[in-house]
Amino acid sequence: MQANKRVHADMIMKTGIRIAALCALGLGTMPAVQAADGECFESRDGASKVVQKEIGENLKNVECSDTTGAVLWWGDPYDGTQPMGDMPVEIEGEAVVKSRTAQLNLYPVCGVACHNGSFPAPVEADAPPRKLTMHMDLVPDSMNLQHGNGGIWCLDCHDAKTRNKLVDNAGNLVDFNQPQQLCGKCHGQVYRRWREGLHGKRIGEWAADGKKRWFVCTECHNPHDVQQGERKSGFAQITPEPAPKLPKNMDNADHERHHGH
Amino acid sequence: MTDQPKPNAPEDAAPDSMSRRGFVKDAGTLSATSLLGTAALMTNSDEAEANGNWAEWFQGNYRLMTQEEKDEAIARLERRYTNEYGKKVTVDSTPAEKGVLFGYALNIQKCIGCRRCAKACVEENNQSRGDQEIEWIRVLKMEKGEFNSVKMGDGYPESYGIQVGGNAYSASGVVLEGEHYYEPEKVPEEDAFYMPIACMQCEKPPCVKVCPVRTTYREPDGIVVVDYNWCIGCRMCIGACPYWARRFNWGEPNLPKEEMNPKTHYLGNRPRMKGVVEKCTFCVQRTRKGRYPACVEVCPVGARKFGNLLDPESEVRRVLADKRVFRLKAELNTYPKFFYYMD
Ligand code: HEC
Ligand code: HEC
Ligand code: HEC
Repeated sequence: MQANKRVHADMIMKTGIRIAALCALGLGTMPAVQAADGECFESRDGASKVVQKEIGENLKNVECSDTTGAVLWWGDPYDGTQPMGDMPVEIEGEAVVKSRTAQLNLYPVCGVACHNGSFPAPVEADAPPRKLTMHMDLVPDSMNLQHGNGGIWCLDCHDAKTRNKLVDNAGNLVDFNQPQQLCGKCHGQVYRRWREGLHGKRIGEWAADGKKRWFVCTECHNPHDVQQGERKSGFAQITPEPAPKLPKNMDNADHERHHGH
Repeated sequence: MTDQPKPNAPEDAAPDSMSRRGFVKDAGTLSATSLLGTAALMTNSDEAEANGNWAEWFQGNYRLMTQEEKDEAIARLERRYTNEYGKKVTVDSTPAEKGVLFGYALNIQKCIGCRRCAKACVEENNQSRGDQEIEWIRVLKMEKGEFNSVKMGDGYPESYGIQVGGNAYSASGVVLEGEHYYEPEKVPEEDAFYMPIACMQCEKPPCVKVCPVRTTYREPDGIVVVDYNWCIGCRMCIGACPYWARRFNWGEPNLPKEEMNPKTHYLGNRPRMKGVVEKCTFCVQRTRKGRYPACVEVCPVGARKFGNLLDPESEVRRVLADKRVFRLKAELNTYPKFFYYMD
């Protein structure tokens, strides 16, 4: 899949005209991952797409919820994962993650098509927020970025020139598949908890030195909206699974609400 | 031992014609062991299923079986389930591992009430669906409510304030009643928090104390299990459990073939029958093979942590070391292996 996309990107590079066309067509407003039959999301709705498939006799990689389109069960916790890669501190056991770039619609083109490093001219990293014409679907209100209470903006995380990389506060480029290396720079405490397995989640084997799939920060948090306005929460609301069956001969659950509201 | 009232009496299952059934029936006075032998001999025939049922009927308490008897019982079950569900079903008997004591920790601050744990549990553990729905996990919604001076006059007797006699028409403040059936568009709701409950895997389990046939007991790795075959359906354990963690199969369980999880454990998610009690086993079929329980894996916010309480490096131990932890109804001295915590 990865390779395909790279080929795709090469093609685009070769045909310069198409670049402009693609941008004009509003590739930038392509909808985020959309749910369809046999497809489900993991933690953050819209952040990931898992396609249900047979991986063995009577075994599927995941079971999806009919009502909410969420993953309900993992047949193979490591399906579609890759090694986590460098971690500044050694982790016991094998650590795998799912690729984020495979889920990002714009990733294959972002470094070549619309931003090739010199065109359009990169803005200063500390330029004040301005109205954006692109990416309004990702960042609804660029003047009021829902992360950092006005303290941070796009180029605190995205590299001004190398658009297919993130950048930390020391200027190191960070891979989109390793968002923890970026987030951890500003959220040290949470990052340490994450590394210990307390913040976020891991699936696979419970043993401390077992093989685990780690969920990276952006699989749960939308970096462009960790405030969500009034909600002031880093985790977006999702649709709950259906309520349990009422006991026999009970028509409703009004008794639960006898205390008013 | 032989007169155990089994609800799924094999009469229905046995073919009427040639009477192996009759034979076994007549042999009702024989000892259970010789019957087991007979059944084992007969299981190669077409009527294996019926005979298997009979042998199942007379099998001993799992905990007291020899390894040989266990193997036999399991082979019998695997044949029956494979036949019944139309796919290769395995029944595992992996025992508790030395040096492992399972523990669970749930971050009540993170839980958003999405109920994915409850549904994952059903996917994994072969609970009954539809009208006979059984779920082992319940997520309770707690309303934050409000303290508000207008309500001060709402109590009974009238105008004496909410605190008089505790008889308010509308409760104020945090409402800890726990709603089961909440169904908002989105969770978490603004004015609520959520509290999932399931079996606490007590160290001193009241359910085990009351079981008259000792079919429910605590394994060395801390999991409280039920030998469904030995359960007489008296439901004393349900009454004794302070956490409302046990469920009863009032009817024949409804488990569609295509939804059946064929990877089972004898003491865990193998299909149950009418008239027996069941409950969470920390997914014994998974955890004894090294895998996290299904609810841990499915929780979208990572509120559920699981591991070996004897290993200081495990996630649960780290929670116990770092977080504010409590056990539900600790005053009952049940010593749950299920902990709640906050960041
Ligand atoms: C350049 C520094 C910086 C980086 C990099 C950064 N954040 Fe933040 N983040 C902040 C600031 C500042 C706040 C606001 C904190 C506050 O208001 O107390 C914040 C708030 C948050 C919150 C909400 C905190 C709360 O109190 O509810 C979440 C969740 C969050 N960030 C996640 C992330 C994730 C995930 C990443 C990586 C993709 C990330 N952050 C990268 C600076 C950063
Ligand atoms: C806190 C760090 C942070 C800030 C600030 C930030 N981003 Fe991002 N952005 C990320 C991360 C991390 C990703 C990858 C998200 C993922 O993996 O889901 C990303 C992804 C993107 C993408 C690709 C999305 C896709 O689906 O292909 C675009 C475009 C983007 N950001 C634009 C912006 C713009 C425009 C701003 C400023 C208004 C901005 N970002 C501010 C961290 C940030
Ligand atoms: C499995 C999902 C998940 C993953 C993975 C995850 N988080 Fe969180 N995080 C949450 C949830 C849920 C909250 C609570 C949000 C709330 O209550 O509003 C949270 C809260 C936060 C907060 C604010 C509150 C706090 O606890 O201090 C920050 C900052 C944060 N996360 C950063 C990160 C970073 C950085 C990473 C990656 C190293 C990460 N998260 C990985 C689910 C996750």
